[in-house]
Amino acid sequence: MRRLYGFVQRFLRHRRALLLGIGCIPLISLCDIRLTLWFGDALSRLSAKEDPAFLSRLFVLLLGVAAVQGLFRFLARWWIVGVSRRVEVELKQDLFDKLAHLSLAFHVRSRSGDIVSRLTSDVENVRMLIGPGSMYVLGSLFMVPGSLWVLFHISPGVTLAMSFPLLLVAVAMMIMTPRLQRYSMAVQESLADIATHAQESFAGIRVVKGYGLGEHENRRFRAASETNRAHQLDLARARGVQDAWIHLAYDLAFLPILVVGGWAMIDRTLDAGDLFKFVDLGFKVFWPVIALGWIAGLYPRAVASAERIDEVLEQRSEIVEAQSARTLARVEGRLTLREVGFTYEGAARPALGGVTLEVAPGTTLGVVGPTGSGKSTLLNLLGRLFEAQGEVRLDGVPIRELDLDSLRGALAYVPQDSFLFSDTYRANLEFGAAQPLEEAELRRLTREVAMEAEVAAFPNGLEQLIGERGVTLSGGQRQRTCIARALARDPRVLILDDALSAVDTETEARLLANLRQAGKGRTVVVAAHRLTTVRSAEQILVLREGRPEALGTHAELLERSRWYRDTWERQRMTAELEVL
Amino acid sequence: MSADLPDELTEELDKDEVATKAWDSAVLARLWRFARPHRGKFALSFAILAGLFFLELAAPWLLKHAIDGPIAAADAARNASESGELDATPYVHTLLFLGGGYLLIILLAAVFRFLEENQLTRTGQAVVNDLRTHLFAHMQRLELAWFDRHPTGSLVTRVTSDVENLNELFTSGLVVLLFDMIKVAVVLGLLFVVSPTLATLVLLLTPVLVGVSLVFRGGARRAHRSVRARLARTNGYLQEVLSGIRVVQVFRREERVSQRFGAHLAAYLAANFRTILLFALFFPIVAWVTVLIQAGVLLRGGSAILAGDVTLGDFILFWFWLQVFVGPIRELGERYNVLQSAFASAERIFAILDTPPGITTPAAPRALPLPFHGHVRFENVSFAYDARVPVLSELSFEIPPGATVALVGATGAGKSTIVNLLLRFYDPSAGRITLDGIDLRELDPASLRERLGLVLQEDFLFTGSVRDNLVLGRAGVSPESLTRALEASTASDFVRRLPKGLDTELAERGATLSTGERELVAIARALAAGPAMVILDEATSSVDSATEARIEAATHELLRGRSALVVAHRLSTVRRADKILVLHHGKLRESGTHAELLAHGGIYARLHALQFREPDAELRAG
Repeated sequence: MRRLYGFVQRFLRHRRALLLGIGCIPLISLCDIRLTLWFGDALSRLSAKEDPAFLSRLFVLLLGVAAVQGLFRFLARWWIVGVSRRVEVELKQDLFDKLAHLSLAFHVRSRSGDIVSRLTSDVENVRMLIGPGSMYVLGSLFMVPGSLWVLFHISPGVTLAMSFPLLLVAVAMMIMTPRLQRYSMAVQESLADIATHAQESFAGIRVVKGYGLGEHENRRFRAASETNRAHQLDLARARGVQDAWIHLAYDLAFLPILVVGGWAMIDRTLDAGDLFKFVDLGFKVFWPVIALGWIAGLYPRAVASAERIDEVLEQRSEIVEAQSARTLARVEGRLTLREVGFTYEGAARPALGGVTLEVAPGTTLGVVGPTGSGKSTLLNLLGRLFEAQGEVRLDGVPIRELDLDSLRGALAYVPQDSFLFSDTYRANLEFGAAQPLEEAELRRLTREVAMEAEVAAFPNGLEQLIGERGVTLSGGQRQRTCIARALARDPRVLILDDALSAVDTETEARLLANLRQAGKGRTVVVAAHRLTTVRSAEQILVLREGRPEALGTHAELLERSRWYRDTWERQRMTAELEVL
Repeated sequence: MSADLPDELTEELDKDEVATKAWDSAVLARLWRFARPHRGKFALSFAILAGLFFLELAAPWLLKHAIDGPIAAADAARNASESGELDATPYVHTLLFLGGGYLLIILLAAVFRFLEENQLTRTGQAVVNDLRTHLFAHMQRLELAWFDRHPTGSLVTRVTSDVENLNELFTSGLVVLLFDMIKVAVVLGLLFVVSPTLATLVLLLTPVLVGVSLVFRGGARRAHRSVRARLARTNGYLQEVLSGIRVVQVFRREERVSQRFGAHLAAYLAANFRTILLFALFFPIVAWVTVLIQAGVLLRGGSAILAGDVTLGDFILFWFWLQVFVGPIRELGERYNVLQSAFASAERIFAILDTPPGITTPAAPRALPLPFHGHVRFENVSFAYDARVPVLSELSFEIPPGATVALVGATGAGKSTIVNLLLRFYDPSAGRITLDGIDLRELDPASLRERLGLVLQEDFLFTGSVRDNLVLGRAGVSPESLTRALEASTASDFVRRLPKGLDTELAERGATLSTGERELVAIARALAAGPAMVILDEATSSVDSATEARIEAATHELLRGRSALVVAHRLSTVRRADKILVLHHGKLRESGTHAELLAHGGIYARLHALQFREPDAELRAG
């Protein structure tokens, strides 16, 4: 319960709507019971051979009360479910803000699928329990005792006798709901397996067809499909058991009405109208009783979800600004690294270590090395996305002592995966800038990355949606767009993480020239697989398994680093083949 | 929430799915073909539903008989007796007897209810399982070009959610809908038997209920769709930001993305309020119409009871059966929605089943002769993916048994196309390719399967153990041949270091292995079946020198003594080749051994000279 308290607090922020909605609930039950009593009384009067003239007045009354009840129903749902949706949205916003600020180390160690599920199904579980769940429970808490109280006054014996089966319904529901959840989870997982199999088989279709594995794949897929079928049947069996139990218990409640109530009618202690009241209220408490058990069954899952949500909300970012963080009025762009290294959480050996060098303002540092040698890690340390071991200084100030706006405001970064938003082309460029960009400015940026003609060719020009729902950009176009976005910041230090791999060599040369020229005095740090990218850099760092192997110019490294020389030769040949 | 979504984006959200018909006989007829083999199961489902229905009707019928039987009789007897005194025993006995009957009925009903859920699922799953495996197998027969045209994600949707929708159709959709209609008709008939006047009243008011149900469900469907679409956008944006978190943080755009997320949430909330409004209206209105019917029944029934046309027992029976009658009508809208989305899914599925495979094997394919030599001939082969842009024109060459032929050329020169043609991913538009003298188009693909070793760029690893990935279900791979392949490819070293060796489970796409390791596994996989012929598309990724050396050695081992077609990126592979083909724009420009081509003094010689030019001199020249 304590776990959920914080979430209840969130609901209480909307106290007014919530209280109004809750206020409607007893009125709904009251109307419901009233309707049954009127129907029953009418039957009693009819069986006493009374003149049916009273019926037309009653008809109007019944419809009137039903209408009022309908209004209360509407209001209760509107207010309570409405609040629950508002709380959901607020909670999601809080979670999102938290995630946006948590350090990269957190994001690296958590799987994005898991985080998304905390923001979706976990939030939904909590919302269901506190929102609609409490609405149903409150409804049941008025309807069930209210009905039984009314019936108790008619016949205590019958009422007591029918209460036990009803209790059984709630208990069966409570016990079986978590069990059903387990089975349905297994069904979901087996469905996910089918999707994985299909996904792999289609994505790897060249291997499948090349080796003629069609039959093999069919067998694997059939097995996954069969597993799903088996789980579906398990679930159906569990559901069948639950259904059968609940209905049996419920139907049992009518047995005392029939036998004890009937006996009382023979003895004339009950009349037909009374019997009717038992039957009709018996119908009406069925769903409320089910709801009670159902919500009780959902409770453990909601608590678990609440814990998972709190886990994120209570996370603290490892990257904190110092108490008296320093700001830099003007950034020169001098980077000084002293014995810089980094070890990923849980990793046996450091991903990077012992990097010492200095990049003078306006010069370029190239970072090369085989896959997994620590290039990206090094670049991430510069913007303090991770906390580096050793010391990184910007213009002589350790970046740990700088405020983040000063540090990152001076940087621009072009990621390896050329990440762009599925948004308009303009919005993607403006993501880099502090404020909306002038047309001339946008044109200059697209020209600088040699995208001008391509953007002009988009059906909607700069307003073109890109990504999933818009045009798909080629790898090279994405990379050039990412660079334009970075240039929109007019950064003092530009960091490129293998950001030119999909651009042909000729465009690459032009781009690199642009980058240097545009930022007379701009510091560039560029990691690359293709050595032509770093060839004219003032310094090139060769990393091997996280350790610096050599530092020098292109010409120096051709002599000093065997890896550099071998790679250069191999790439040289491929490049020559390209222009054959 | 200042950052608003662009208009086109919000519009997009609302027209997410095209509405389709809720009833399509042609689609239904085709679906029946899958359902037919399981018609026994359908019949049993129906029988169980009918049994349950009968029991559902019988229970209140007993109550009626209690009221009109012993209770009414006792009442009459008491009225008749002077003193008002009565020996109740015989009446109570009848009552207890009826109670026993009721108990029996509800026990039976419990059994039937258990069977109902089981049998419906069993039936639906039987059909769906057939359909799903049939669909998947059909997709496997389609040619590579088809897969290139369709995004993987949408193909996965076909065999997952679309098939799931059909499951709904067969369980809660069609069978239950059909049965609900029968129920409504039967109960209405029974109501007429109990009391024609009251039943007429019910019949007159029913269209109101049907109308309300259909109108609101239509609205609910649209509203739900809009909620789903907006939720998907919200989650999509979240995922996007998570994957781009580095850029967001380096650019200090945490506030901006948060506002944008807020805008997505606001749109989602607005759609939600529409849904809440609809449901908040729907439930009370249906309840009110139900009270209207009940009050009408009371109004008309009141005088009928007094007139003696309707007994009290009849009235209560009528009340019970009315509940049975109203239920299915209330659900009608829901069932309608299930049908609609199921038909839409069925159409998408049939569209795939209607696609004929573009590359077929003849009915009586020719098997490769034994022993297999691996003699490949390209005879005047031309090919174009798109008729306007020829990729290969009139290409002829030969791979003699046991020889390695290396393809060299720029991107787009046609190297991968040659591999694709040899693997028969595509058929040539002119000319022919033969293997030991047999045209590929006439060849039995199964006979080639075991004799081929294949290493593709970014070679695909499947989830499953390392062993599964090496064996790939091929009969020709024995434990001994596997061990030999691992040793020869030098993959055995790192496999031994894996936590469970060969039985280590790989993550999706082999993500837990390094680039170099994945390449070694691919080579071991190619070697495992002891192939007579090898197709190798060398990877270009840069790995460290030690791994590089091992891959070179493994490649050498793979090619030795086998007919091989290699798209070469490594100098060592090219040098060792028996023949080098230099391609340019789909045409063969030079061919010969390394030595011959050097002597020839053409493109290749020029290239090779570059490799050995003095680095410093080259730099100064550049």
